[in-house]
Amino acid sequence: MRKLISVLLVLAMILAIMPAALADGAPEPITLTVFRGDPGDQPAEDNKIYKLIEEKFGVKFEFEFLAGDLDEKLGLMIAGEDYPDLFDGGNSADLIISNGALINLLDYVNPEDTPRLWAHIEPQKARLIDKDEDGNDVLYIIPNYGLTDGDQIVNEVNGPAFFVQKQVLAWAGYPQIHTLNEYFDLIEKFIEANPTDENGSPYVGFDILCEDWRHFCLINPVQHLMGRPNDGEVYICVTDQNYAVTGNDPSEEFKTETFIDKPYAKAYYQKLNEEFHKGLISKDTFVMNYDQYIAQLSSGTVLGMFDQTWDFGNATAALKDAKMDKNTYVALGLVYDPEYVDGQEIEEHYVNGSLPNVRRGFGISVNCECPERIVAMWEEMLSDEWQIIFNWGIEGEDYYVEDGRLLMTEEQYMQRNDNAWKVQNRALAFFESSPKKQGWILDGEFAGNAWDPANQPEIVLGLMNDYDKEFLSAYGYSKFADFVNPPIELAPYGEAWQIDYTPVDVDHQDFLNIQDKRLPELIMCDPAEFDAKWDAFVEEITPSATAFGEYMQEAVRAEAAKVLDK
Amino acid sequence: MTTASIKPNRKNRIHRDVTFPIVNTIILVLLMFVTLYPVINTVAYSFNDGTDALRGNIGLWPRVFSLKSYESILQDNAVYQAAFISASKTVIITLLNLFWTGMLAFTLSRKEYVLRKFITTVMVLTMYVNAGLIPNYLLISKTLHLSKSYWVYVIPTMFSCFNMIVIRTYITGLPDALVESARIDGAGDIRVYWQIIFPLCMPVLATVALFVAVGSWNSWFDTHLYCGGQKNLHSLQYLLKMKLATTQASANAAKTSADALKSTTQTTPITIRCAITVISTVPILVVYPFLQRYFVTGMALGSVKG
Amino acid sequence: MTSVSHRSNKELRPVSKKGFFRTLAGQWQLMLMSVPMLLYVILFNYAPMWGWITAFQDYKPKAGIFGSKWVGMKNFMWLFGREDFINSIRNTLAMSVINLVFGTVSSILLAILLNEVRNRGFKRTVQTVTYLPHFLSMVIVVGMAQNIFASDGAVNGLLKSLRLVKEPVFFLGEGRYFWWLVGVINVWKEVGWNTIIYISAMTSIDPSLYEAAAIDGAGRFHRILHVTLPGIKSTFVILLIMNIGHLMEAGFEIQYLLGSSVVMDWSQTIDIFVLQYGISKQQYGVATAAGMFKSIVAIILLVAANTLAKRLDEDTLL
Repeated sequence: MRKLISVLLVLAMILAIMPAALADGAPEPITLTVFRGDPGDQPAEDNKIYKLIEEKFGVKFEFEFLAGDLDEKLGLMIAGEDYPDLFDGGNSADLIISNGALINLLDYVNPEDTPRLWAHIEPQKARLIDKDEDGNDVLYIIPNYGLTDGDQIVNEVNGPAFFVQKQVLAWAGYPQIHTLNEYFDLIEKFIEANPTDENGSPYVGFDILCEDWRHFCLINPVQHLMGRPNDGEVYICVTDQNYAVTGNDPSEEFKTETFIDKPYAKAYYQKLNEEFHKGLISKDTFVMNYDQYIAQLSSGTVLGMFDQTWDFGNATAALKDAKMDKNTYVALGLVYDPEYVDGQEIEEHYVNGSLPNVRRGFGISVNCECPERIVAMWEEMLSDEWQIIFNWGIEGEDYYVEDGRLLMTEEQYMQRNDNAWKVQNRALAFFESSPKKQGWILDGEFAGNAWDPANQPEIVLGLMNDYDKEFLSAYGYSKFADFVNPPIELAPYGEAWQIDYTPVDVDHQDFLNIQDKRLPELIMCDPAEFDAKWDAFVEEITPSATAFGEYMQEAVRAEAAKVLDK
Repeated sequence: MTTASIKPNRKNRIHRDVTFPIVNTIILVLLMFVTLYPVINTVAYSFNDGTDALRGNIGLWPRVFSLKSYESILQDNAVYQAAFISASKTVIITLLNLFWTGMLAFTLSRKEYVLRKFITTVMVLTMYVNAGLIPNYLLISKTLHLSKSYWVYVIPTMFSCFNMIVIRTYITGLPDALVESARIDGAGDIRVYWQIIFPLCMPVLATVALFVAVGSWNSWFDTHLYCGGQKNLHSLQYLLKMKLATTQASANAAKTSADALKSTTQTTPITIRCAITVISTVPILVVYPFLQRYFVTGMALGSVKG
Repeated sequence: MTSVSHRSNKELRPVSKKGFFRTLAGQWQLMLMSVPMLLYVILFNYAPMWGWITAFQDYKPKAGIFGSKWVGMKNFMWLFGREDFINSIRNTLAMSVINLVFGTVSSILLAILLNEVRNRGFKRTVQTVTYLPHFLSMVIVVGMAQNIFASDGAVNGLLKSLRLVKEPVFFLGEGRYFWWLVGVINVWKEVGWNTIIYISAMTSIDPSLYEAAAIDGAGRFHRILHVTLPGIKSTFVILLIMNIGHLMEAGFEIQYLLGSSVVMDWSQTIDIFVLQYGISKQQYGVATAAGMFKSIVAIILLVAANTLAKRLDEDTLL
């Protein structure tokens, strides 16, 4: 007990002494409460970047991260009006905006007072600024990502794609694979010639992960096969080609429809049904959880799947760790063969133009007593100096400069993956949700460098291993993104998955549940019954699909109008 | 078991007394194996290299030994602060629960108590009605102003009806004569409880203490609701849960394959989850034998009566 | 208050109203020990019950209870108009009945076996080992179960080597196995933990009863049947009544983790339904309505079970 008391006493003393330790001349010290709508590590007490912030701005942070369910937590914060100063509502930011938890940043952000912030949002302001009920311009959140300087940097496909193991392409003599049939033919031939790996484990042709929210691996591919980037669960006609392949009426502007219930989706699932009966797809894939999926990928026995690169980053790491480079994956941009879409040749568009992460990032809550101070701090932090501190760290410690190039040793780069190092040396808890520069540094001392070390060409090339270099040179490519078309221009409405569909939430959930339940059944069913089962599926899903689709049609047009009008 | 139903005679008895313990032992050993397997498997994973563990198929021994998961958790000083918070609140809550719940259980076992029926009903219904999250949150946070304070761990969790019923059932099973003889001696109810009933209830109180302590030790939701922003008040389970969630989130955000290239510094959710399980279970294992002493040995009653 | 049990009836009959208060005054010590907790649960458990009003509202946390729109029975109508909600009630009840039967039988069986162990060290070891899985998180246990019951898992391997099946059984992908898998996994995880309460109940059995039985020449089976089981009967009955009241709670974690879209029709419980369609869809009223429905059914079940126990002259909860 005595020990306990002395521990408490010491704690109390530390707390009492702390304010006195503040640097002289700094502005009046404040502590900002911060909520982040995702999990995260608390920064270390002596984190060097937060120390700099405290010295320069007199600001300390008290972070709260999310441990449980986001909507539940936000609901309670709204009910009690318990808002932090800086409020990142994560994927449910719409909920806090619609409940009036955030202030309008346009009261503080303007070309005169905050030139950097204004220049930062100006190119995309049509997308970012909304109208409130009274018709006033409002901006609640400055996006944390996606406001890019200069050309978008695409070294590899980071989003959705069909993936295939590099060894499969190498085995076939580095062919060009662009269509669904070519893809499955290749895997079939490979597996016929090599039924098992070196250890005798049988290869799996194609995996379909459909656990919980990761069911996008099951339900999203059709839109891409039809030549559109990721719009979530709807297909939107933007180009003439989009109208042609869907058979929609070109006079309907931004025709938006759920695709899963359309005949052009049937072709994909019928193909999967065929491959299932050829043994390329195992029925266990439909009951697999994420851990098992990653385990299977990491073992190197899965030849192909549809997924998003970040979703299996751990498996890639495990394969590289085990020196199984030939078992790592290449992202392919597949489209339907003409036979599936009335002879139309579809052009592939997996990679979209740079997309502002609308309504994601910090807003300032109505409970905050010093919004002008936070905005002024962000303004200052958008300077080259601070952006480099946040992205690269401290010169000499975390990176070095050579001939105007920002560089890192391999060790310096790799420690950025270490959590213990991060909480000491990076201000991620704050920076991840704050406005930030991305893309290329356009002017000043370091013009021509990338803001993010992960995009710096020297670093990317330096980390690439020999297998990958040889593989790319066999194709005559310089980077893995060369396997797909370069980014297209972002459509006026952005990407449809960003649209808030709260009003049709229940229909949307029904829409998803029916797909989750029926699509695996369709893939596994007797081919003779497929047509009848497909018709039953379409009939079952039509009510919720219609409700969701109609809402999305309105919303997509409204979003597009914002950009096109201004 | 079949031999047991045969009329006892000398020969059968010997036969039975040998067979049953053997069969029983075999059954229990098998059961131990079945229940021990997942535990050892978890420990094996927790000591395995994170990236290697992604491949799965680890049995009773780590494939690539590594302390990385433990290091990544235990090198964070916040863990010790949180462990102190968790331990202290567990002790306080357990004592308060035993104090109140035991007394209440005693009164509700007294058939002559005129409020017995009423109070029992009110208490029992608390197990089946739940007002919902928001009203509870508003009561604790807005009406009672307990959030952002240590007391939010203690005050709302001082009582559990289930445990009260468990104790009451036990007390009801004690011979009535115990209470009656004491009352004849002129002892009041409070004295009867503390001097006679309470010492006899050790086995059941130890059981309840275990339930309460484990519940309190494992709770994270109260921190999540009321003290998430108060670093100094984080409980251990909250912190560990956050670490797991963060590892999962950063696994998802392994953005470029350059980042995934070398993973020697990475931990993965699989091993972190297992290390967390081990770290939070070991203290319970340490305390358990002290409580187990009370409810495995069936001597309490006999010795007092003797 | 109005209906008092048989036994206390006899003692209370002469008590008039005046006598009631006099008796009460005489029981001030009992009151001192019980009334604080009564006030406590009124504050912490009953005061927030205003929340049930939101079952009849289109509740919005920002507007609060006074600002939200009244919708009458609409939330209930919506729930009961949905086939999948009705289905989730079926699944919940099925799984809780299986859990109740499996859980009770297995833990009593284990408690009896343990009680027969003479070697104290062995007894303690078994007990400690069997309760350990309780502390593993459900994710870990279910993950293991998924591997064991997979098409190429241990169970299918065993069935095949015993020539019981030709093709592997698709345990995880066929709905009809789902409820039983949940039951088995719960027993695996909780049997040791659930035994603790019976073991502690067995300590209250008077050792002289065993001695008397032994002197009478009763065999082991008779001792179990006539001493051990009666000794834990009241615990068993009380727990049974309590658990019958909990039949509407089958949890969500294990079903959520073990379930997949192909078995959704068997795995969705009320709690999972509410998770999907309640607060996460800003349907606070619907979430409360579902909770209220569960509570009301629970109380009906509880009272029914309690009444039945009373009729059978067993110990009762209330």
